Amino acid sequence: MKKITVVALSILGILIGAPLVSHAGPKNDGRPDGGTLGYGEYGRPSTLDPITSNEMVSLRITELVFNGLVGIDEKQEIVPELAERWEVSPDGRTYTFALRKDVMWHPKEGEESRPFTADDVLFTYSIMMHPKTITPLKVRYEFIEKVEKLGDHSVQFTLKRPILNALAKFSFKVIPKHGPSNPLYLTREDPFVQHPIGTGPYILKAITTDREIVLVANENYFKGRPHISRFISKPFADQNIMTQALMFNAIDMVVLVNPRDIPELQGDKRFILQPYNALSYAFFGYNVRNPLLADKRVRKAFTYAVNRQEMLSSFFNGQGTIISGPFAPGSWAYNLDVQPLPFDPQKAIELLKEAGFTPGPDGVMQKDGKKLALSLKVPIEKESEAVKRVVLAFQNYLKNVGTTIKVEFKEWQAWKESVFLEHDFDVIFASWVFDDSADISSLFHSAEIGSWKNNFGGYSNPEVDGLIVESKLTLDHEKRRTINRKLHAIIADEAPYTFLWALTNYSGYHNKLRRVAIHPYKFFSFADEWFIPASDQK
Amino acid sequence: MARLSVGLVWAVVALAAGAASAADDAAARAMRLYETHRYEEAARTLQADVPALDPAGRAPAYLTLGMIYLENAELHRELHQAGLTAQLDYLKKLAAVRGADGSRFVSLYLGRTLLEIGSSGDATKYLERFSTQTGVEPRYKATAEAELGLCHFLRKDASKARALWAALDTADPDVQVALAAVYSRAGLKERDPVAMADAALRKVGASPSPRMLGSLFTVYARAGLTDKGLGLIRQADLKAASYTEVLGQTKTINFYDLSVLGDLAALYLQAGQLYLEKAAADPKLKPTADYYLGVAYADAGNVELSLQATDAFLSVASAPAQYRNRARARHAAGRYLQRRHAEALATWEELAQGKPADADLLAEIILGCVRVRAECGRIAGRAELAAEAGDAKKTRALNIALGKYHLSKKDYRRAVMYLEAGRDKSNKNRIEANDPVMLVSLAEAYYRRRQFSEALEIYFEMSKHFPVVRGLQEALQGIYSMEHNSAGDVKIF
Repeated sequence: MKKITVVALSILGILIGAPLVSHAGPKNDGRPDGGTLGYGEYGRPSTLDPITSNEMVSLRITELVFNGLVGIDEKQEIVPELAERWEVSPDGRTYTFALRKDVMWHPKEGEESRPFTADDVLFTYSIMMHPKTITPLKVRYEFIEKVEKLGDHSVQFTLKRPILNALAKFSFKVIPKHGPSNPLYLTREDPFVQHPIGTGPYILKAITTDREIVLVANENYFKGRPHISRFISKPFADQNIMTQALMFNAIDMVVLVNPRDIPELQGDKRFILQPYNALSYAFFGYNVRNPLLADKRVRKAFTYAVNRQEMLSSFFNGQGTIISGPFAPGSWAYNLDVQPLPFDPQKAIELLKEAGFTPGPDGVMQKDGKKLALSLKVPIEKESEAVKRVVLAFQNYLKNVGTTIKVEFKEWQAWKESVFLEHDFDVIFASWVFDDSADISSLFHSAEIGSWKNNFGGYSNPEVDGLIVESKLTLDHEKRRTINRKLHAIIADEAPYTFLWALTNYSGYHNKLRRVAIHPYKFFSFADEWFIPASDQK
Repeated sequence: MARLSVGLVWAVVALAAGAASAADDAAARAMRLYETHRYEEAARTLQADVPALDPAGRAPAYLTLGMIYLENAELHRELHQAGLTAQLDYLKKLAAVRGADGSRFVSLYLGRTLLEIGSSGDATKYLERFSTQTGVEPRYKATAEAELGLCHFLRKDASKARALWAALDTADPDVQVALAAVYSRAGLKERDPVAMADAALRKVGASPSPRMLGSLFTVYARAGLTDKGLGLIRQADLKAASYTEVLGQTKTINFYDLSVLGDLAALYLQAGQLYLEKAAADPKLKPTADYYLGVAYADAGNVELSLQATDAFLSVASAPAQYRNRARARHAAGRYLQRRHAEALATWEELAQGKPADADLLAEIILGCVRVRAECGRIAGRAELAAEAGDAKKTRALNIALGKYHLSKKDYRRAVMYLEAGRDKSNKNRIEANDPVMLVSLAEAYYRRRQFSEALEIYFEMSKHFPVVRGLQEALQGIYSMEHNSAGDVKIF
């Protein structure tokens, strides 16, 4: 084994976890256990495991069910989770984790609980990186050279090179070796992705015929039994009634309040509106494999053609910010010098003409005898009134510049297959949500073109690839910032998306829920500490 | 700042305007912009209208201009404070990176920032480090030495300061105006910093660099040349970096001089005071103008004049009771600054007990406590109960005051809680719906809680109206990029 030096916090800014005491059993913090929290969700996730999922709805579930080796607390500091302490070699390439010995996996149906060990960590890494595993995570962990088991409760990761914020990356969720039926790789067909078991504060109990996901408190959770006994995720096909469900006590919490409903909730003292700044934005994404969309002048023309401010004001009560590029405005990477393109349909027409299009007899632009007619695919879960209006407005704006848009609403899983697997679309309407890293590499690097990868539109630019790689390799924060500013400028100019807006994020919940702290990205990271006073428990 | 409601002012303006409908229109237009916190636009609009107004109709315009500038001064003062905190944190982190990857200019800007917050000893270390580096362009070395001289001067070593200053070549307008700013800050009027600044400005013509602008604002603000200063502000690109250091193709660092915010605040306050004094010459508007002059003089640090103006307002028997009480609360703050602590605390206690449900009065008392750093825990406790019991809209100002109270006590969790309660969530970051001063406090509380993106989002929206916040944005982005802990995750929604 290589010699490992314990590096002091003050030298490398890396935390060394303190030995932990098991808290299995009640928390004994004087707060009551019991009660049920029903929360409104934007649809039913296609998978419930942390490896194959790439959507926010399942991220929130996995946060309740699983743990990482490390976690990130409310003060944005790295804290121990499944690892009780760690050591970092002076060259920043070797991370050795001492694992907790008191962690048990949730019981698999008909089986006894099994202990969590180093084998599970190795298994998670190997299944995550297996070429046949369908996961967006690979690109995030390519910096790891190898992982070794040093003992039943000790693992060592060797990095290919030191990287910025390496420790935070070990917050990936660990899954059990005895979980998936296929021990080599994980696909969406594996039963584990629908009925996962983890080490987290809540155990997946059931999925009802109404597609509600019922989670119950893990009595043996190593940080102590979570206070609230049951969490129920309730999917709403129509966002418009979610707030009404909260107002009429059918649910206790809405993870993301429709901006239009904010005034109603703000005026009602029964509810608390809590902001959480998920770094997210909405966009129209283009499939550049389609020759009609391969020319950036066409894509830029579409951006000029849409009146984003009008859409934001009319359909979301103006509760958001128009953006100019691939980062959210609350991110450290946003280039403040790049301004959103103005609404200018005349400029749009000029650009289309420059790209070789001419208006046909029916007013539709055409080139080489082919009409500028495109399909826009929208997941049906997004079929709120506001979203319908956005896509219809988009259709109209583009019609005004001689482009025909056919809108297709599809069921979530079918939409994902069309977009991420088959790449059978011209334009999509969706949103990305980022954690604090503002990492856009999986969205725009050409190596991320492929089945179930995030560069669904097939965008490729060697300069962007180079900058993304340089950004990942550097250990210099200011350099990384500068590179991201450049990326912002280039991608804004190349317009693989029409970047739309970042909306206001508020969670709304009944004031019977106490000690509610929300992680801006993962949402439920601190939910084991939430409680409901005994008098308010149903 | 203790504000008089727009309603009261309007009543007075309408009364005074009478036959002067042009004044009424001009003031009304500006007032609408003022109500949506677009101060610069409001002031520019109204100032352009004033020369065309009948002399008798100018008083309402002066009053409105006074109010606008007073608010703008407060906003920039808050931005200055918040900015210095963030800037210092950022530059310290940046200065910790030494060697080939390190910035050379960070020492200059860290020295300047330390000087700005009054730490001339620490500033000396960094300014010396910068000026003794090899290969520094003479212009920047000279400006650093001018400021180094100020550090020595402030540390009572005038001879060392004068020796440094005497050695500077002022043929370069950048150096000349930097030295003028230093003389201004040292109070050396005999060196005629205004003449030096004017001469430097003549040399460069109509477009001084951002670095020069910073020094020019300092000189004109400290000389009381309000119009000259305001004229420069209107021409300036306030979002431009003071210096951009290029450290290779993929590394540049933008440095901002946040003393500009303090100078802008000073110029706006001077303008506010000037226009309010003009308005006070009109007997009909004098009570209202006095109310605001009480605020303006207090903000300028002139307690005596503030008390006189407030007394004058209180002597008007017809002044509405709720404003009299607020004026009394502010009067007590003045007394507190005169070390008449018991008298001040007794007045606040009497007012709070007499009107326990008057959220606006409680807010005024709490803000007074924060301003003069008085210990008002008991009143704050009662105010919290009133805020909880009251209607959300009616207790907005009180919630904001309590947020500021907890911010001053470094209880950032509660600061966020109360400031959020006072925020119009339907228009989260819009300055039209939310007092930008409140938003700055909220951004500061979020920053202290390491919720960087919340703070950045506030400044992002604010920068559309106040481009000078770019310096804060850059500092916060820099700290955020260094401090975030995350795995690089992204999900579709």
